[in-house]
Amino acid sequence: MTDTNGSPILQVQDLYAGYLDFDILHGVNLDVHPGEIVCVIGPNGAGKSTVFRAVYGLISVRLGHVIFDGAEITNFKPQDVLRSGIAIVPQLRSVFPQMTVHENLEMGMFLEKNKARIAERIDVVYGLFPRLGERSKQQVGTMSGGEQRMLEIGRALLLEPKLLMMDEPSAGLAPSITRQIFNHIRSLNDEIGLTILMIEQNARQGLEVSDRGYVLELGVNTYEGTGQGLIDDPEVRRAFLGGH
Amino acid sequence: MSEFVQAVINGVMLGGFYAAMMLGFSVIWGVMHVINLAHGEFIMVGAYLTWFLNKEYGWEPFAAIIVVAPVMFLLGYVLQKVLINRVVDRPHLVSLLVTFGLSIIIANVLKLVFTADSRITESSATGFWTVSEDITIPITKSVVLALALVIMISLYLFLQRTKTGKSIRAAAQNKQAARIVGIDIDKIYAITFGICIAITGVAGTMISPIQAIAPFQGPPLTLRAFTITALAGLGSIPGALMGGLTLGLLESFIGIYVDKIGTNLAIVASFALLVVILVTRPQGLFGGLRTDEEPQPL
Repeated sequence: MTDTNGSPILQVQDLYAGYLDFDILHGVNLDVHPGEIVCVIGPNGAGKSTVFRAVYGLISVRLGHVIFDGAEITNFKPQDVLRSGIAIVPQLRSVFPQMTVHENLEMGMFLEKNKARIAERIDVVYGLFPRLGERSKQQVGTMSGGEQRMLEIGRALLLEPKLLMMDEPSAGLAPSITRQIFNHIRSLNDEIGLTILMIEQNARQGLEVSDRGYVLELGVNTYEGTGQGLIDDPEVRRAFLGGH
Repeated sequence: MSEFVQAVINGVMLGGFYAAMMLGFSVIWGVMHVINLAHGEFIMVGAYLTWFLNKEYGWEPFAAIIVVAPVMFLLGYVLQKVLINRVVDRPHLVSLLVTFGLSIIIANVLKLVFTADSRITESSATGFWTVSEDITIPITKSVVLALALVIMISLYLFLQRTKTGKSIRAAAQNKQAARIVGIDIDKIYAITFGICIAITGVAGTMISPIQAIAPFQGPPLTLRAFTITALAGLGSIPGALMGGLTLGLLESFIGIYVDKIGTNLAIVASFALLVVILVTRPQGLFGGLRTDEEPQPL
């Protein structure tokens, strides 16, 4: 699906951001093209999640630009980033535990006014994730971690985002569940052409399903390449993939 | 026997009022993790507003709700926007100090404006229904109980059925997730604070014809709100009713069966109850609004 020749849908240009007066990112650059899965890897503390938060307006950008679909969205509020077409699945649980699966999905359509459209989109998501359909009446707090992650991804797709951003989709999940989630991500990309930017601690598995990847170290990106290219790169292997 | 029945009647009426009186306190705590120590003072603001309309314009106290509710909503909305919002993500101590400061300011402003004299409003709904020779049902308190039930049911339906209500519950359960789905947290917090202060002010309207009001009568009410929240769990409306009734009946029985010091002992009882619950069952007796222990870091 890689199409690096077309113009990118998301451009992060020379981004400086952090907390209070302290920058964690010192000039991050990355592009995501339509239809791609792009994975950002790097050691703990490299600023991977900070990139995610800065793009989504959860922390403020001090310098640099975030350009999405041809328009500047730097320092937009989260709800405005969402309106412009980026949905996110954060690392920490982002479900409403005391609501049912169905209510969670309704909340996911918070910005949509048209009731018929809400019902229609929820049906589409039940089609993509039949497991959620079976459990529509269940309280989300009682479901497994993997099911809750599926719900988060399903909910993110409700608004038909042009880009889905995921912060460590494998966080807190057993290896077998992680594999299921990654396979699902890959098939969403194949089936509905979903463009995905993910941050992943689990570098090898993340890169395996990705078209391209970036390596982030100490707040700047140091390597980039195709997913397989980075896995094969001796430097990257030695530093980030356990050396074999 | 009739003494017992009378104690139950009084206790239920008091308990119903307590349940409605503490809703605002409990929902603010449950949704935005702010413990509003000025809760009792907001009740007094509502009570004085009602007294003013009653005294100056001869309004029926209960009719004053149509003024008190919107005015208090606005007050809450603005206070949250300009003040509480700045401390909402800080440690609990900060919001405790801010609301404690607010309570002192409000009580003293009330004293300046209305003097320290006790006031009471006059409702035309007075008198008693006589059930038997020595069992009576006070009419004013019945109206208060009915209003309390209406408020609880309305708030419950609002939180369960409406989009804004669902957003409030969502914000309470997972603030980050609420942001992600596009809920404007600042706005939801301001609306929540507005609604809660409106209910709290209306509780002032409800208390004004049945109990003398004075500028410094807020704290015992805040204490009771604390006790019932501990009984009920945060933001749980059925829990509020159960907790309110428990405290109301307890106070009523102590008042009737303990000679002379009964009424004073009642407030001691409420404090003792709070301590016992906090030690034995800190999560409350009847469940609550949320599972989140702390606001998640963003």
